[in-house]
Amino acid sequence: MAQFLVEGRELVAEAGRELSVLAQRPEDAVALDGCFRAIHTLKGSTGLFDLQPMGLMLHAAEDLLSAMREGQPAATGGFEALLDVVDQVDRWLDTLERDGALPSGAASVGRAAERRLRDLTSDPASPGRKPDAPGWHIPPEFAGLVGTAIRYTPRADCYFSGDDPLAIIAATPGLTALRLSPREAWGPLDHYDPFACNLVIEAVSTADRATVEAAFRFVADQVEFVELTNLDPAAPDGTAARRTLRVDAARVDRLADLADDLVIAKGGLAELAAQAETLPGGHALGQALRGRQAQLDRLVGDLHATVGRVRLVPLSPLFARFPRLARDIARSLGKSVTLEIEGGEIEVDKTVVDGLFDPLLHVLRNALDHGIEPAELRRAAGKPDAGNIRLTARASAGHVVIEVADDGAGIDIGHIREVAVTRGILGREAADALDDAAAIELIFTPGFSTASTVSEVSGRGVGMDVVRSAAARLGGRVTVESLAGQGATARFVLPLAMVLTRIMVVACGSERYGLALDAVVQTTRVTSDDIIPIRDGRAFQLRDQALPLVSLGGLVGTGEEARASRRVIVAKVRGELVGFSVDAIVERMDAVVRPMNGLLSGAPGVTGTTLLSDGTVLMILDLAELVA
Amino acid sequence: MTVVLDGSVVRLQGLCRVEDAEPLAALLQSGEAATIELSDCEAMHGAVAQVILAFAPVLTGTPAVFFLRNLLLPTLAAERQLRRLKLK
Repeated sequence: MAQFLVEGRELVAEAGRELSVLAQRPEDAVALDGCFRAIHTLKGSTGLFDLQPMGLMLHAAEDLLSAMREGQPAATGGFEALLDVVDQVDRWLDTLERDGALPSGAASVGRAAERRLRDLTSDPASPGRKPDAPGWHIPPEFAGLVGTAIRYTPRADCYFSGDDPLAIIAATPGLTALRLSPREAWGPLDHYDPFACNLVIEAVSTADRATVEAAFRFVADQVEFVELTNLDPAAPDGTAARRTLRVDAARVDRLADLADDLVIAKGGLAELAAQAETLPGGHALGQALRGRQAQLDRLVGDLHATVGRVRLVPLSPLFARFPRLARDIARSLGKSVTLEIEGGEIEVDKTVVDGLFDPLLHVLRNALDHGIEPAELRRAAGKPDAGNIRLTARASAGHVVIEVADDGAGIDIGHIREVAVTRGILGREAADALDDAAAIELIFTPGFSTASTVSEVSGRGVGMDVVRSAAARLGGRVTVESLAGQGATARFVLPLAMVLTRIMVVACGSERYGLALDAVVQTTRVTSDDIIPIRDGRAFQLRDQALPLVSLGGLVGTGEEARASRRVIVAKVRGELVGFSVDAIVERMDAVVRPMNGLLSGAPGVTGTTLLSDGTVLMILDLAELVA
Repeated sequence: MTVVLDGSVVRLQGLCRVEDAEPLAALLQSGEAATIELSDCEAMHGAVAQVILAFAPVLTGTPAVFFLRNLLLPTLAAERQLRRLKLK
């Protein structure tokens, strides 16, 4: 079933893609074939499970497509009906994934869709010109070949009349493929009749059609031809033609974990080499160890990078889920929208792709709900009735930038200031003092929601703060830009792959924690005399600035540092410098930070974990979340 | 003679004609031969190819003629595979 869900989504995406081509160019035979294949395969898969309503509907869709392939002109509303079927299947796949079964009303939905399609199929409009479609099933061996496909079924008595079918085929110029098969099953071989021809000969020739037909002029009544075009859309752009292997993600994850652990285990060697060098007479051994270690370093680095690439998956299957969702959401809001998608071919670590669905959906919902204006407002603003949302991805210097950009009204910044004040997030003066960019940042504040009424679409009790922390968990960040009257853009910047992170290890009491080094501005030492109590907090003087001082041990619950002289790490938290006091700074290291999963994934203030060379797990703290 | 029995191996030599089909079928039917050697085959009538297709014997040797070597032999071998799988 899991396999079916994966393949089902791919097929739904493919059918949807081809249908959108067909909506523009109904005569596009390649798209029609692609759509037919996808629907046909989907239908076939439903038979393996108890998914009768889905099968019924798809069967009708297949028949309609089949009629179109045979030249029946596309009935009015045909593609819309097909698209609705594909969307319905997609919705059911969601249900199947969640509940393991189709929803209770599925049977009637399936029957209704089937009837609608059947009505379209039996459209008695002119039979139309029969296109050059094969009346037989082209053998799979011929896939990808170009030229004239020949199917020659010699008469049973042809051996008597002196014909040699094989000689005729052999004399055909430009042959590139041949297949011989029995016309009818052989039956018991004791009664084999060597004089009755029981052959079907299929071949492909690259010679021009007239030459090929001429070769068969004496048996023209027994032969069929069809032009083979390279129907495989994968070949030219090379996206789907790649040889791929479906591997259980858990195994790849295990492999990646092992590669990560190897990086750490290897780290112990340098220490050993150094120890060996200090031993009496150990210098040569130490040198040799160091040499071996350098070699191992390279190999492990290479292995780590290769495994990292194994985990890279294209964004397109994720992106492909959004057109249907956008249509559904827009319909429920009484709006219409086109969703443009770009950059689906970009490959990103699987963890990132898996973690992106919810935040992207949330942002998309916001764009549809709050961004895109109702049609009459759009018209008044000189915009087309249908809103436009662009979901794009591009790679840039080790990161992937994913944007959801709408052409709606933009964010009402005055309104945001108002809400922030009424919700008590900021004082009036502070709110008015913010520039526009800082005001937009307010939407990421926990508990902030700009919708004055919580609508069914956007109001699911989650705000942009959840989107931001989801992005942070994936090692990235999210920002929002807005141009009044022209729309808003949510921009995710995420790592392409899980990479080595520079980490500072600190001690709080007997516990150790890691901090991402890129947040750390400097470290300093503060004595009790330097600490200035301010209301219920504390501050300290760093050069000409007074910075808030927070006890990290207090935050993580290991207790405050008691010493008179404390180590302080100065870090940038949401643009402001904050001092965190710790008991000691242990070391700096490179580590692979694994995002939290399972029960711990919701733990606030922790971005991930890494394994130390002694096997203990080090938690990596998110300072910004800790002081939130 | 273009159909030559050599132990349990049938050698097809030169131009194999429609009249070679019957003796070949008889040899394969009776079980006297189970292997066909094609190195010296120069042309094959459809009726002979059909016998090979039907009885699916072991094929050895590579004919020199392009059509036989590159087009006919591969499809005969592929169909033989299919038949063997189905018979089992």
